[in-house]
Amino acid sequence: MCNLVSIAKRVGAPRIVTTRGIPYPAGDPSLGPADEKAWRRRLVTKALQVVATPVTAPTVFEVDEHGQ
Amino acid sequence: MKLTRLVHDVTSVALGESTSYASGTLTVSADEAAAVMASPALAEVHVSWASPGDAVRIVKVLDAVEPRTKGPGGGGIFPGLLGPPRPQGRGETHVMRGAAVVVAGYLPRAQEAVVDMSGPAAALSPLGATHNLVVEFTPTPDAAWEDVDTALRHGSLALAVLLADAGLEAPPDSVEELPSVVVPGAPVEGRPRVGAITNLQTQGTFKDSFVYGRSFAGALPTLIDPDEMDDGAVVSGQFGHPGLKNFTYLFQNHPVVEALRRRHGQDLEFAGLMLSPEPVDQDRKELVSAHAAKLCAAAGFDAAIVTKEGGGNADGDMALKMDALAELKIPAVGLFAEMAGSDGTGPSIVVPPEKATGMVSTGNYDERLVLPAVERALGGEEIALLRQKATDEVELPTAVVYGSLSPLGWGRLTCAEPAA
Amino acid sequence: MTTRIVHYLNQFFTGVGGEDSAGTGPARRDGPVGPGTRLAQLLGPEFEIVTTVYCGDDYATTTPTAVQEIMALIKEAQPDVVVAGPAFTSGRYGLACARVVAAAHEAGLTAIACMHTDNPGLDEAGAAPVVASGETGRTMKETLDNLAAAVAKVAAGEPLTRADDRVGKVPRLNRLDDRNSAERAVDLVLARLGGDRRATEVPLPKFDQVTPASPLEDPSKALVAILTEGALVPDDNPDGLESARATKWLRYPLEGMDSMPAGEYRSVHGGFSTVWANEDPNRILPLDVARQLESEGAIGQLHREYMTTAGNGTSVANARRFGVEWVGELRRLGVQAALLTAT
Repeated sequence: MCNLVSIAKRVGAPRIVTTRGIPYPAGDPSLGPADEKAWRRRLVTKALQVVATPVTAPTVFEVDEHGQ
Repeated sequence: MKLTRLVHDVTSVALGESTSYASGTLTVSADEAAAVMASPALAEVHVSWASPGDAVRIVKVLDAVEPRTKGPGGGGIFPGLLGPPRPQGRGETHVMRGAAVVVAGYLPRAQEAVVDMSGPAAALSPLGATHNLVVEFTPTPDAAWEDVDTALRHGSLALAVLLADAGLEAPPDSVEELPSVVVPGAPVEGRPRVGAITNLQTQGTFKDSFVYGRSFAGALPTLIDPDEMDDGAVVSGQFGHPGLKNFTYLFQNHPVVEALRRRHGQDLEFAGLMLSPEPVDQDRKELVSAHAAKLCAAAGFDAAIVTKEGGGNADGDMALKMDALAELKIPAVGLFAEMAGSDGTGPSIVVPPEKATGMVSTGNYDERLVLPAVERALGGEEIALLRQKATDEVELPTAVVYGSLSPLGWGRLTCAEPAA
Repeated sequence: MTTRIVHYLNQFFTGVGGEDSAGTGPARRDGPVGPGTRLAQLLGPEFEIVTTVYCGDDYATTTPTAVQEIMALIKEAQPDVVVAGPAFTSGRYGLACARVVAAAHEAGLTAIACMHTDNPGLDEAGAAPVVASGETGRTMKETLDNLAAAVAKVAAGEPLTRADDRVGKVPRLNRLDDRNSAERAVDLVLARLGGDRRATEVPLPKFDQVTPASPLEDPSKALVAILTEGALVPDDNPDGLESARATKWLRYPLEGMDSMPAGEYRSVHGGFSTVWANEDPNRILPLDVARQLESEGAIGQLHREYMTTAGNGTSVANARRFGVEWVGELRRLGVQAALLTAT
């Protein structure tokens, strides 16, 4: 779960979930507290789906904008 | 607009009753120095000299500034911080060459940074060859660290001006007229137009760079007259990665700018200097990279030399920018430090460019150095994390030596496989 | 004075036996044995193979203490130079040779291994030099010529280079150039403009291929760990995690916690501004929502502790070690999936 996906791909991380900024991989301070926590929940939910998804090479997954 | 440097060579230094400069000797009054550094955030300030060859180690180095002035009180130097943010880079600037104001001491987010004035590490730091007026400080109890940081930055710039003002009446040892960069469309007789892109670290408090006194975070890349750098348009506020640090002294003496000025009119034309932030998210990194490349094309760069500040994250900015330039058919060369592990066998750069693969190595960050014991230490009693006395013999990665892997290209350090 | 050599071989080249003897533990013989006899002749009277240390391939590569035991026998013989192989393309033998010279190099001994460039053990030699062999024992004659020349070179304290048929990782070492990096950058950009499109001081590095783990069947039944390289530690950083060039990782309990409270945890990472992390440490380690998902059944169970390090100028070697140690630890405790936040 990181923002610099190009680095993660380069070093061969198999499952990558895109986050919103280097200093806050599980947050987004531009949102209010409730919205930020909702974002974090979508992010972790996505990550759980991703670890249950088969991949063969470094693969980047984006959180659906209107996901769970 | 042209800038002329009136250079006074500082060949010896002293502390004395009043601050003065005569025939190469710079004398500083400790009381006057403390007065210009005074701030509600600082309880006490102490200055002392550390000169090349002294058995002295400076630890916890924060920033270093070359004494410069354009007139009494600075005359507009360090615009936006000491004076109003008016465009500089014109007229005359007095330079106390061979001296530096060096701030050293504890700030919570700063990483340990070492300068040795003698021994094997002296040649690795720009400050190993300058007479350094070292400023040690005690914060006021309960002062916010952000205020201490601000007070030190303003104070060290004011102190640099105090020192340089001492030379206003002295005849310069040399006069340097800086060349103007070539304008788009001007005839160049077949010489390529080569420009520089300087990425500035912009990651918030204690990891920031100031352009005309403002944080450069959130900005788009912009062109600046290289001579504005000479007058302090860019000031450092960044305390990570000491070996990779672009401190204020290096912005005032930008090595890539100096190298391009020297070759200007000979085998190339200096096409200009661009500043770019290093954003903290991938989207904005891509945005500023694409924008920088377009701006280079508009400014008529035939090629560019790209520099950074910081570690792997900043390498990401380098790679994106160099590849964006390559897409516009503008060859780019980047200055990179290698991070190949202490034995030099690891992958040296985690995010290298994919298309623009011309890279200069400023040395391996991880290779270890043994620094001999010294007689005196300034800046602190201990070397952080080693839990060793600052005067002891110490073994450190090259990364801890201040400016040793200078991304702006100051150093002669490089890295290679052993030759046959 | 002659140069004292200790030669490392496997069970086969020592003449102990083939695959049936691969479990043989480390042992020694006086003087040169097998390929060592010819090597000694090629090296001439200034060198002496004083001892041959050997070990079965299986023992050498699967017993955790094997390299230590082999090194003890080697050190006893007080060598000036340690020579291992040639191992040709033999995988276990190559791995053993590589580990032996890596350990000898670490211990400050001059050491050299010999194997084919495709030997899978090659990269384990670390910074110790490896000289190329042929593919099989049929090339023994040429291989030993190559090895003897390389041994003479390293014994004289000279660096072994690719021109000497060095294979594997060649350390890149710091040195001072005549000119500064900025001036060299100008030359490089002019060379590139002049048409030399490959000119560079830094060859593109090679990275490992990672085989993805097979997917989790059902997160709602799994034990899941949360990890970070965002250097999140208890506020007083009790174990002294480094802000850059980390040499260690740490673990802290999560039992009884529903969230990472501000003021009690902070990031000591030196690679970014930690203001946001310290305002709300869940921005680094998403415990608050992970607990919610656990209580709702979307996560079977959260692992009882988190692991943390600082990924800031951390060498690849250390990062790899942290990864191996984390995986070993998590596997041992039955963790089936891990979510790792990276800054």
